[in-house]
Amino acid sequence: MTTPVVGEERTLGFAQPDTRPPLRTPRTSLKVRNALVGWTFILPNFLGFAVLTLAPVLTLFYISLTSWNIFGAAQWVGLDNFTRLVGDKSFHTALGNTFYYAALHIPITIVASLGLALLLNQKLRGAAFFRTVAFFPYITSIVAVAVVWNMLFSPEYGPINQFLSLFIGGEMPGWTVSKDWAMPAVIIVGTWKDMGYYMLLFLAGLQTVPGELHEAARIDGAGAWQRFWNVTLPCLRPTMFFVTVMVTIQSFKVFDLILVMTDGGPGQATLVLSQYIYQKGFEQFEFGYASAVAVVLFFICITVTVVQFLYNKRKEA
Amino acid sequence: MAARPSALRRSGRVLLYVVMILAAAGIMLPFAWMVISSLKMNNQVFTAPVQWIPDPVQWRNYLDIWVKADMVTWVRNTLVLSVAVTVLQVLTGSFAAYGFAKMRFPGREPLFLLYIGTIAVPWQSYMIPQFQMLSSWGLNNTLWAIMLLQAFGAFGVFLMKQYYESIPDSLSEAARLDGLSEYGIWWRIIMPLSVPALASLTIITFVSTWNDYLGPLIYLRDRELWTIQIGLQSFIGEYNAEHALIMTGSVLSVLPIALIFLLGQRYFVEGVATTGVKG
Amino acid sequence: MNRKIMSALGIAAAASLALTGCGGQDEPADADGPVTISLAGWDFASTPEFQTLADAYHEANPDVTVELKEYPAGDDYDTALTADLAAGAAPDVFIVKNLKNYITFQEGGTLLDISDVAGELDPATGGLEPMAVDGKTFAVPYRQDSWLLYYNKALFEKAGVDLPDGSWTWDDYADAAEQLTEGIGEKEVTGTYLHSWQSTVQGFALSQTPGASLDGGDFSFLAPYYERELALQDAGAQPSFATVTTNELAYQSQFGTQKAAMLPMGSWYIGTLVAEQESGAADTFEWGIAPIPQLDESTTGTENTPLTFGDPTTMGISSNIDESKIETAKDFLRFAAGPEGAAALAEIGITPALIDDAVADAIFGLEGVPQDELSRFAYTTHDTLPENPVGQKTAAIQTILGETHSAIMSESTPVDEAITEAEERVANEVG
Repeated sequence: MTTPVVGEERTLGFAQPDTRPPLRTPRTSLKVRNALVGWTFILPNFLGFAVLTLAPVLTLFYISLTSWNIFGAAQWVGLDNFTRLVGDKSFHTALGNTFYYAALHIPITIVASLGLALLLNQKLRGAAFFRTVAFFPYITSIVAVAVVWNMLFSPEYGPINQFLSLFIGGEMPGWTVSKDWAMPAVIIVGTWKDMGYYMLLFLAGLQTVPGELHEAARIDGAGAWQRFWNVTLPCLRPTMFFVTVMVTIQSFKVFDLILVMTDGGPGQATLVLSQYIYQKGFEQFEFGYASAVAVVLFFICITVTVVQFLYNKRKEA
Repeated sequence: MAARPSALRRSGRVLLYVVMILAAAGIMLPFAWMVISSLKMNNQVFTAPVQWIPDPVQWRNYLDIWVKADMVTWVRNTLVLSVAVTVLQVLTGSFAAYGFAKMRFPGREPLFLLYIGTIAVPWQSYMIPQFQMLSSWGLNNTLWAIMLLQAFGAFGVFLMKQYYESIPDSLSEAARLDGLSEYGIWWRIIMPLSVPALASLTIITFVSTWNDYLGPLIYLRDRELWTIQIGLQSFIGEYNAEHALIMTGSVLSVLPIALIFLLGQRYFVEGVATTGVKG
Repeated sequence: MNRKIMSALGIAAAASLALTGCGGQDEPADADGPVTISLAGWDFASTPEFQTLADAYHEANPDVTVELKEYPAGDDYDTALTADLAAGAAPDVFIVKNLKNYITFQEGGTLLDISDVAGELDPATGGLEPMAVDGKTFAVPYRQDSWLLYYNKALFEKAGVDLPDGSWTWDDYADAAEQLTEGIGEKEVTGTYLHSWQSTVQGFALSQTPGASLDGGDFSFLAPYYERELALQDAGAQPSFATVTTNELAYQSQFGTQKAAMLPMGSWYIGTLVAEQESGAADTFEWGIAPIPQLDESTTGTENTPLTFGDPTTMGISSNIDESKIETAKDFLRFAAGPEGAAALAEIGITPALIDDAVADAIFGLEGVPQDELSRFAYTTHDTLPENPVGQKTAAIQTILGETHSAIMSESTPVDEAITEAEERVANEVG
């Protein structure tokens, strides 16, 4: 069942956009021309990007090698900031917590948002309404979100524990004010908030899945699950790549949500790297050191992204 | 005989709707709390246990926010910023994405990784160097700063590029044989096929500019330049806070976006599949 | 180095953008012509003190206009001001709002040496002395709040508990809180209310325990204070930390709507409570102020000076100021931190750094402020120690202790374990 469908997909030219224009001019001049045209497309955005984003980001890399305290000149300290990270227990805690958050938030969010997108992509009465509802958490102000969820999670008065106590006895989880439960609570809210956003991206991607492929698979007797696995997912690969990379990066960078929900507490139970950067930079004015943490965060994200990039390329080929 | 499966199907549908409506209610709960709080007296917003029914109902909060605060100015500034940023981001982003997705040239992939790489750096770690740069141009305390800051992000390029890649190359191939230039292909073939992605990018850019807090906080000082988020935050004073008004403002700030989303629905689910493109 | 790159980039772009006159209306002032100095403050709508000082100074010196630059309230003030200081765009005079940032601002060279101004101020000005760094002063206090005990007379009477008389230790306070909770006997009314800030426990422990210091590396002085608060929340005599944080309880509404009979809080709350009772946001009831409870009897009673804490709010001059304006700015600081500024602030219910009889008369002359003797004693007599002693390590240590606070009060970590952990972290991370 698998091969015919995928084979069909490949003949449609979905997998690999690498088809050069026919050779009308000599190869080299075509290459140059192509490069020039390519650059004219990229340039308007790239100019703004290079000056406004890339330049400050490069400055950040430089700052990570200094002891800059934000005011005055930056003093070069070489790799001192990075060696200090090795022995910094708070950094280790933040690193561990960040991985904890990412490890759960990434898969749960992808599954939840893809599920939502598949459900709401159907011709369903009221689909427009439900899509809007799913998008609501993303547009609601984060402060209101934090306030309400904190209240729902309140160990003594919160509706969540009151509801749970109908089914289970014993001690209820302390959620945002408990060392063990604060992170799960934050992950729940993070997923709740993000799933509508990624659903939107998946919805757009789903529109590129040709209906006739599904039809063909159905005629071949493929069940819903097989059609999803062999038709929808392969066609969705560019979108899937995009969403995976974005969820990954956003999860490792998580900041606002934790800041407003738990402020890293109780203790350091939900302290994450982004918040540690903010703490070191804006509360303690160690911008050099904070930049070093940012560089580490950057390398974590970029490593994961490159792995995804290569995996995606291999799948495409 | 034939009635049974359809009855089963129907009850399945009903069950699905019951589940979906319950889930929707759960998802909307925080928003419902916002609406309820916006109708309360300030001292009743935060209580233990939660008070779910406002008593007395304070409709006047919805009047006060226009009278007591500069809500009109805030909405205007936020709107100007959101529209400008969205237009710039969507135009330049989708244009650049074509270069990345459909053109071959040396250095394309490293350059693209560079774009993604900047997404991986948390903004708060480079916002000070960026602020120094924009201030040295005299752009601090102007709306220009926020526009420039947000308009050329890597996000739009990435989103559009991935979408373009799922549009079959055979289409642009045919157009190329017909003598259409690359710019023509982008504008006439690719753009019309990318409506769902353009719609997503538009709404996401719009919302993130609309709700941005840290950017305006760092750059905008004058009251005439404040955005909704900054304005609402100003209800939290040093020693007391107008929580009810904050919630009123938050409700008012969410509604236009929800409305745009609801009305723009069909564009999210209209694209290659429905415009009848065959591979 | 990087500033240079930035401005090089800047010049290129500024030329193309050709934007007009931003940031600088720093035209040099004539010797006797009108002068304008700018002052950074926050949230003018609900913080009238800046306008008050500016107006009062202008009245006394018609040639000088103090122009206000508005910044956001809360911690955002520091974030926004930091950005402006880094870009050299800060106003002539700015408020050093959090004492723990003072040393960084000073070391970063953003503050002018104003030791001469400090030397002319009344030595009794609260919080002035600790501002000296190696004998030089870079910012002067113009207001200083101190922590006091607010109590609701009606609820005390209802519970049949004796009113505070200035002789209380923390143990007396804890006993009273439990008796009140029981005596009032209403489910949602507690004997006292402790807000979630770390200062509500640590500030008192630091200021009242002999020999306690932040940078000594030994935090065992915090333990008895935490044990007592934990016992109170376990007994239900105050809402638990978990309830306070997850429900975002506000101390104003807990005390103002009579859900708590006592409240340890800063003196700024006097003005707020008076205003809220007048507007109807708070219930109308009789209240009073008592000295904050003490560690032991050596500092209790009206014949002694009770120990409490509070950081001064200080004002400094930006090192970026135009040379010709320095003298004017210094004169403004002398005014704001001196008796005239104090009088102007007291009139709007704000506690200046310099509390003299005139200030006390002004505060207690406001309608709605309690008139009993103990209230006046509590307001005027105290030895107020800083919560954030000026020092290089203060900011980093306070971050760690803030995490300790939430770990202990949420009962995630036992007191001794959390304190040991904090000591280890300070040794490991702050050095």
